[in-house]
Amino acid sequence: MASYVSGVVTDIPKESSPIGKEIQNFRLQNVDGKAIGLENFPQAKGFVIVFTCNHCPFAKLYSRRFNDLSAKYRSLGIPLLAVNSMDTSVYDEERFANMQERAKVDHFEFPYLQDPLQTVGKQFSADHTPQAFVIWKEAGKWMIKYSGAIDDNGKHPEKATPFVANAIDELLASKPVSHPEYRSLGCAINYRE
Amino acid sequence: MLAISNAKVCASRNSSKLSFFFILLLTLLSSTSDLWAQDYNTLHIPAALYGTNFNLTIIDTFKQILSGNQTITGGINDDFWGPTIFVNKGDTVHMNVLNKLNDSTTIHWHGMHLPAVMDGGPHQIIPPGTLWQPYWKITNNAATYWYHPHLHQMTQAQIIKGVGGFLIVRDTEEAALPLPRTYGIDDIPLVLTSRRYLSNNQFDLTNIYGDYMLTNGTPNAQVSLPAQVVRLRILNAEVERGYDLGFSDNRTFYVIANDGGLLDAPVAVTRLKLLVGERVEILVDLSKNSAGSSVNLQAFNGGQPFGFPGGEPATSGNLGSLLNNTTFTVLHVIVAAPTSGAITSIPKTLVKNTYWTDADVTNSRTITVTDQGPGTPFTFDHVGFVFNTINKTVPLGAIEKWTITNNNTFGHAFHIHDVEFKVVSRSSGSVANYEQGWKDVVYLPKSESVSFIAKFDDYSDAIHPYMYHCHFADHEDGGMMGQFVVEGSAGVKNAPLPEVSYTLFPNPALKKLFIQLEDPRVVVYYITITTINGRTVMMLPQPDLSNGIDISMLPSGSYIVKLMDKESKQITIRKFIKE
Repeated sequence: MASYVSGVVTDIPKESSPIGKEIQNFRLQNVDGKAIGLENFPQAKGFVIVFTCNHCPFAKLYSRRFNDLSAKYRSLGIPLLAVNSMDTSVYDEERFANMQERAKVDHFEFPYLQDPLQTVGKQFSADHTPQAFVIWKEAGKWMIKYSGAIDDNGKHPEKATPFVANAIDELLASKPVSHPEYRSLGCAINYRE
Repeated sequence: MLAISNAKVCASRNSSKLSFFFILLLTLLSSTSDLWAQDYNTLHIPAALYGTNFNLTIIDTFKQILSGNQTITGGINDDFWGPTIFVNKGDTVHMNVLNKLNDSTTIHWHGMHLPAVMDGGPHQIIPPGTLWQPYWKITNNAATYWYHPHLHQMTQAQIIKGVGGFLIVRDTEEAALPLPRTYGIDDIPLVLTSRRYLSNNQFDLTNIYGDYMLTNGTPNAQVSLPAQVVRLRILNAEVERGYDLGFSDNRTFYVIANDGGLLDAPVAVTRLKLLVGERVEILVDLSKNSAGSSVNLQAFNGGQPFGFPGGEPATSGNLGSLLNNTTFTVLHVIVAAPTSGAITSIPKTLVKNTYWTDADVTNSRTITVTDQGPGTPFTFDHVGFVFNTINKTVPLGAIEKWTITNNNTFGHAFHIHDVEFKVVSRSSGSVANYEQGWKDVVYLPKSESVSFIAKFDDYSDAIHPYMYHCHFADHEDGGMMGQFVVEGSAGVKNAPLPEVSYTLFPNPALKKLFIQLEDPRVVVYYITITTINGRTVMMLPQPDLSNGIDISMLPSGSYIVKLMDKESKQITIRKFIKE
């Protein structure tokens, strides 16, 4: 068994935190061809918005976990919506037809929405795939309560700390999110100028 | 080490219990040794590719380096670094470089003598999803070269992610010598890098000096080598750190090759400095080592003066590192039984080189390292890199002497594309014996001038430049780069330029697309194929059109061919349909 270095590490704080930012409603086309927006879920207490894509090897590791999160929290009033904000003019694999194929092959049990103008990605300031946001309804507004990585082990979910699930559980228990941000990692979402 | 030191202190404080502590010490030493042995990981040997046609796919990927989460990395056909490409002098090689990174990139064939438009400098930008197909005839001598990204302002990040690979040239002279050359057995490629990690196990892409070694992408690397003469091909692929290499037992080893070829004879050393971008091939005689014994290849960077990159005393911060100004292991070697057909002696001579001398020089130039300070990047002659500025024009066939003067605050590693050069002088004294061969990177310490002589032969291109630059990735990203073109004889052009007109066939096409030029005087400089929406899918510098263009990998659809004529640089456009 190989051993690996560990020990002193440093981190660089993100320039601006999205926590507490209000999210405006959006409508995007799902892989089934229908447009979906937050208003389609009138009973929702909150949402898990995950930014993912077709071509990123690290994002591909999370398909089953997205399904698990969706299955666990949809009935509790927190649907999961996956959004693809990758620039289709640059990445051919991110075409809508490829999204449909990806949803089919990976058995997505949640909406997989295309963000062709990247407006939703910009609204969230999403910077990587995969990256999760938990938004929660407060006084009729959708507020970001969690931003960052899904968990802390891409390849071995059984060893991972479930950051998103923990955040939702705290919100469901009417507690503040104790760790509202973890740096996301994976493939950068590059925005058109 | 801490456990040993404490045990020794305890023993000296209480002599009446000396024997007890001696036993304790032995126990600690024994158990600590076991722990150390378990701390090593088997050195990764990059896959070897042979032939004349190479498929290189650059990918964003991830690798298990630390315990816990995986590290996002970049690789070429692999999850960190890329394959070792073996080519033969005299062969024409074709590279199919597919960029599947999330970002644009370039791939520079470091040390190769080739047309500027094939060179992979900052101008040959490969967008995501694009296939770049340079090709050239190998004219370099047998030696260890490499390939790496060279995208302006992105080089550091892409190098840190791990994009790169070795390119090893073989020739008949080298093949005739009694040298180790069984790849991965007695002929070992070593790419020396180090990394700093963020708290989520990711590479710090802004870091200059890493805190932990990654040798061939392996942390705490260990290799088993046979008890015979072995050959190490060592590349410094750091962002900025230099290495003062030697062995833990201070043994003598033998330099047989510099960046661009074998030396006249092996040079015996116990230490050698290897700066970023430099390669060296060494022979190490392990024949007197017993099987199971070990020795470490180390960086003796402790005590290096300020100006030697990595000699800074700080252990943290952007210019600090846990490895700065210390002696540290870069490879743990365990000696194993010799192989059959082992090389057991160091050859007396290698090849006969004929180097350029001052008597050959047709033109001399001087370049001075300028500008420095917080927030102010280093430059050459107070001019930072500008994409559209050609800084030097070199006549084709010129033998030039370049003198680089660094009266600045810090050392650098000066690299020039297109040529291998001979270092002829250092203002601080003589040129070291181990750097007397063909080189393309030279250490430029502070308060020193270095002169080299090179011939700019074979390839001229008045438009497309080659680069010269500091090979510290952060320095070149900061603009410490210049551009030169090699110009052939322009002559008097009385004849009108040929009209660029051609036919594409078949159209629609399934596998190959042929181009029929109406005027045979037209020379195609570049072909770019884009989708109807403008996304580049293929880039073909100076393509050989005799066998058509292989388009079999393109999805069905409409495409646009942009053909640039070499003489006029006129671009003409045609459409075709891929079935």
